[in-house]
Amino acid sequence: MREPEFKVVDPRRRFLLWFVPPLAVFVAGLVVLLVSGHVTGPFRSVTVVRALFASKRDFFQDEQVKRILMARGYQVHVTPIGSRDLADKPDLDSYHFVFPSGHVANEHVKTRRAGKHVVPYRPFFTPVVLATFREYAEALKQAGVAKPHDSSEKPLYYNLDMAGLKELADVGKRWNELGLTNGNRVIVQSPDPCKAYSGATLVGFFATAFGDEPPQTVAAAEKLAREVKPYVDAQGQAGEDMAPKYFVPEGRTHAVIAVIYEHQYIAYQLRQKSIDSERVLLYPKKQHQSTPELISFTPEGDRIGELMMNDPDLRRRAVELGFHSLSWNGESADDFGTYISGRGLPTPPAGEAGRVQLPKAELFERMLDVVGECK
Amino acid sequence: MRVLAAVLLLLITACTSSTPAPVRLKVLASTELADLGPVLAELRRATGVELVVEHRGTVEASGSLAGFDLAWLSTARFLRLRGAEPELASSVMTSPVVLGVKRGSRSALGERPTWADVADRAALGRFRYGMADPRVSGGGMAALIGVATAAAGTGAPLRPEDVSCDRLQGFLAGRAFDVPDPVGEFVRRSDVDGLVAHESELLSLNASGRLAEPLEIVYPRDGIVLSDYPLMLVEPAHRAAYDRVVEWLRSPAAQQMIADRTWRRPVEPSVVRDEKLRADLGTALYFPDSSEVIDRLLLFHDRAGDGRQVVFVLDYSTSMAGARLAGLREAFGSLNGFDRFYVGETVTIVRFAGTVLEERSITVRGREDLDALLAVVASEDLRDNTAIWAALDRGLQLARGETAVVLMTDGENNAGPSVDEFLRVGRGEVPVFPIRFGEASTAELDRVAQASGGRLVEAGAKSLLEAVREIRGCR
Repeated sequence: MREPEFKVVDPRRRFLLWFVPPLAVFVAGLVVLLVSGHVTGPFRSVTVVRALFASKRDFFQDEQVKRILMARGYQVHVTPIGSRDLADKPDLDSYHFVFPSGHVANEHVKTRRAGKHVVPYRPFFTPVVLATFREYAEALKQAGVAKPHDSSEKPLYYNLDMAGLKELADVGKRWNELGLTNGNRVIVQSPDPCKAYSGATLVGFFATAFGDEPPQTVAAAEKLAREVKPYVDAQGQAGEDMAPKYFVPEGRTHAVIAVIYEHQYIAYQLRQKSIDSERVLLYPKKQHQSTPELISFTPEGDRIGELMMNDPDLRRRAVELGFHSLSWNGESADDFGTYISGRGLPTPPAGEAGRVQLPKAELFERMLDVVGECK
Repeated sequence: MRVLAAVLLLLITACTSSTPAPVRLKVLASTELADLGPVLAELRRATGVELVVEHRGTVEASGSLAGFDLAWLSTARFLRLRGAEPELASSVMTSPVVLGVKRGSRSALGERPTWADVADRAALGRFRYGMADPRVSGGGMAALIGVATAAAGTGAPLRPEDVSCDRLQGFLAGRAFDVPDPVGEFVRRSDVDGLVAHESELLSLNASGRLAEPLEIVYPRDGIVLSDYPLMLVEPAHRAAYDRVVEWLRSPAAQQMIADRTWRRPVEPSVVRDEKLRADLGTALYFPDSSEVIDRLLLFHDRAGDGRQVVFVLDYSTSMAGARLAGLREAFGSLNGFDRFYVGETVTIVRFAGTVLEERSITVRGREDLDALLAVVASEDLRDNTAIWAALDRGLQLARGETAVVLMTDGENNAGPSVDEFLRVGRGEVPVFPIRFGEASTAELDRVAQASGGRLVEAGAKSLLEAVREIRGCR
């Protein structure tokens, strides 16, 4: 007969059995947090800031920007929306700040916030450009409508004569008449001018083909709008944000000339291993720069605005994302040119040859309504 | 000890509390998105969001999104036409509407065919295809828009006036079926040469092993329509879950899965693509900005194939000898592409001078019938006098059902009834399209055109061929 066996339970071992797996989970979690840069995150209070955004939302959706803001104790909850829709949104007051793309929406928002907390910040600007592909830019060059900005073998930037482009549209010129295998007419495609600032800018660009002086009266604005309308209508149904589709391999099939923002292009080029010399930009001789305003409605919004203006990490990241940074006095800082030429990308002709004189906000809005038949 | 365990458990759950609570969303999706099952399962694992999907054709689904949290359709464009596009939409993937062709039938279409070439072969009965029903399906409607845009040939988006009936009829004559499930129908049948569908559907079919040999994918040279599959937020209360779903779907891993499993093209440029998803798509056709265009396309689509007829009343008086008659013959001989006489169409020719010289009705079954028509026009039997209205009266008597009459003349009426006598009798609904050249009376021809609902065409200003094309029986 065997002696009864006693299993000796070591209380330390039992403790370890219980303790080690959770500890491992904890340590692993801590490592993940350390690596992702949120090390102090879970232990510190984070302020969630609600904001409405037009096309510049890519900035706040950028992982690095999120991380920098998180490190400063802020998380921005982004609600994307077209610039014009933004200004008309019924629950505008429920956000900490808004970030529309252009002056019409900016003014509209400020008017709606009259008498309440409203502080504007202008951290950067970016020109509105016509994005195309090398063979299309070269065809326009042959037609005498575009000129390379520099004398390099494969220029990335061309200056565009809007009056010349308008003339091509007037005669219904097709790309295959300019030597390309595309039977479509020479048409610029943009987002809906009723909804998006870049679409509205196309209206402004074509307006320059009818003269330099912006209209001063409602009647003059409506007349100009009726003249511009066919050139914008020519594209048929307008799309949404053109940029994502411009950069995919099927870009040409989405649109051969698409209205986008320069920063979207610069950021794309900076992400490439080597420069994509197939995709090039057309700069209307009269440029238009979108200077988005971060318009704050609350102290939390103010804090984000101040960080955008002062925080070196955020400002560096803005340049990496393709924006021209602006200082407090509204002067453009030179870090943009330095940075992108350091990355081997030529400096674009932003702001060199004059700007589109857009009409006053209410007149420009009237023009958009006429052109886009906005509802 | 229990307390310690509880504390640890709490700690663990605290660490994972950032995983959001499971959400279940009702989604209205295009029929062809039924292939997303594995992707949606992965989505649920990664985000906790379960998409409960109901499938409908894109055109049908665009009628109402009511009762759904999200919509995921091949395009938001039909919604946009109604001003009913949700505020938030994010394109997830793309696929062009193209042609899949059996290897044995491929040579009939030529090297890099245009939609006009496809319409030409379809009209001749040499290319029979299936497609999705455009009244229901986005793919079917995209095909119709593509073909009509190519047929209009303006290089611009379709306007209502560009949608002309007969230029689509040739293409539609080759349609073997338009059903809700064209892929399944195609597999069941052996008498069809090809399929008009999304590239993704065709590549999936090829990969499925359901076909004895894979279809060749043909990207029509004059342009394609690209579906961009936006995921749309219908019920704003589900914004947070929507954002999670979009973020995941657009992540490189999910995009790779979509490309690998469903043969749709990723919108994330960094994804490595299969060779088949790298084919150059070439030019896109613009999308019309008018629901009237869609309505007209459907109208002509529904009318197709029900034995339409075109009656040509042709002046063979002696003054037509020489260049005029040569031009007429050349015009008949060079009707091709979208303008070709098509299978099922009845072509009636009335040759006249002082009396009716010959009348022939031929229902087109193939190329031999077209040759027979050319033989009638080639006749050298020219006579004196011009009895325009008697001949037109005879032409109208020969009209059956859906018919248009083309009258070509170069002279004054000098035999038979006068125009007043002709117009005194009620002529019904058949439109008359007079083509005027030489000394023919503009006033009289215009009166008859107006009274019938047709239109006078000046042969002098344009080439005769252009004139024939313009009026080919179109209202």
